[in-house]
Amino acid sequence: MKCTFVPSICSYCGTGCGVLFETIDGKLISTIPMKSHPVSGGKLCIKGWNLHEHINSPMRLKKPLVKTFGRFINTSWDEAIQITADRFKDIIEKYGPDSIGVLVSAKMSNEENYLAQKLARAVFGTNNVDHCARL
Amino acid sequence: MKRKVKEWLEDGTVDLFLGYRMNCGHPLPHCFTKEEIDDVEHLLVSRTRYSLEKIATHLAKRDPELKIGLLARDCNQRAINVLTIWHQLDKDKIFALNVNCCPSPIKPQADCSYMSGEQTSSYKVQVGIDNLMDIEKADDFSDQEKNVRWMYEFQKCLKCYGCRNICPVCFCAECTLEHKDLIGPGRLPPQIPIFHLVRAAHMAGRCIDCGLCEDACPMDIPLRLLYRKVGEIVKNVFDYNTGESSEQSPLSLLGEKVSLSLKPM
Repeated sequence: MKCTFVPSICSYCGTGCGVLFETIDGKLISTIPMKSHPVSGGKLCIKGWNLHEHINSPMRLKKPLVKTFGRFINTSWDEAIQITADRFKDIIEKYGPDSIGVLVSAKMSNEENYLAQKLARAVFGTNNVDHCARL
Repeated sequence: MKRKVKEWLEDGTVDLFLGYRMNCGHPLPHCFTKEEIDDVEHLLVSRTRYSLEKIATHLAKRDPELKIGLLARDCNQRAINVLTIWHQLDKDKIFALNVNCCPSPIKPQADCSYMSGEQTSSYKVQVGIDNLMDIEKADDFSDQEKNVRWMYEFQKCLKCYGCRNICPVCFCAECTLEHKDLIGPGRLPPQIPIFHLVRAAHMAGRCIDCGLCEDACPMDIPLRLLYRKVGEIVKNVFDYNTGESSEQSPLSLLGEKVSLSLKPM
């Protein structure tokens, strides 16, 4: 049996509380607040305490789904990205680039957020970028 | 200490050993194994405390045959006693390596995150309950003042469930605090004082006064003091010293034999 402890940062909001993931045999068992963390000092809110639950949730989407005729259908990543790109192109052509907005997330890393705004500004041509912590 | 752990792992006394080591600049729990025995050199006793015995119960739940060693301060040891009494850990499969504990009048030289406690802010001392207060002082307030002061503390609650989640002796599969008919879901603050008093009542005969709940409380509610009072009542009424007695708690009403015997007068 292998039990490991992985230090990490809570991905819910911008505060950046320190958490410790307890895994047994590769499965995430629980989230423990990191006692010595300078930001949170061993305290967490209810969201941080339950970080491990959405990873193990059976409700989690693991494959891309495309809505066709009102129903979600499994598809490949390539096809899903192609469909998304085509639809964006249509919308931009018809209503202009400012008809699109990009919502980034505290659950993503700094670099991913950077890439998202790059996509919005350089590819879509819009400044409509906002963040879930402001919603 | 390191030699002992190596010995235990090598001769198979334990399958794994729960201790601490530095990881990313933080003293964090670590699971030492025979395969990576050289890591034992990094074993350390730190001021930070984690509930290693709670991790041991997670391991034991997955493999009841597993022999687990762990570093144990006095509070860990008391928790292990309670967990074995409640059949969450097997007495013969848990090996505690005792280490130094909280600084206190009895033990001036010790490593512990709790006892060094910061000074309570003056506003909290004025209107609420000072976390560093002892039971007698907290009992000295008039009933009305007690009510006002404790309600001030309880109304701060964020309902994060941290006190329950971190508690080494909270292991029930179903928790009263999550029962929708008893504690209404989706309301903040939770119904007070019932939320806290339900938990306090459930701590009778279980709380081993480790203080992890208060450490984890983002709102600084003096939970340790509250549960200490509960523990004192259990001691006075039933003569049961939680964490030190080896008998079943007087308040365990499940099973065939019910033993609610009061302390002899």
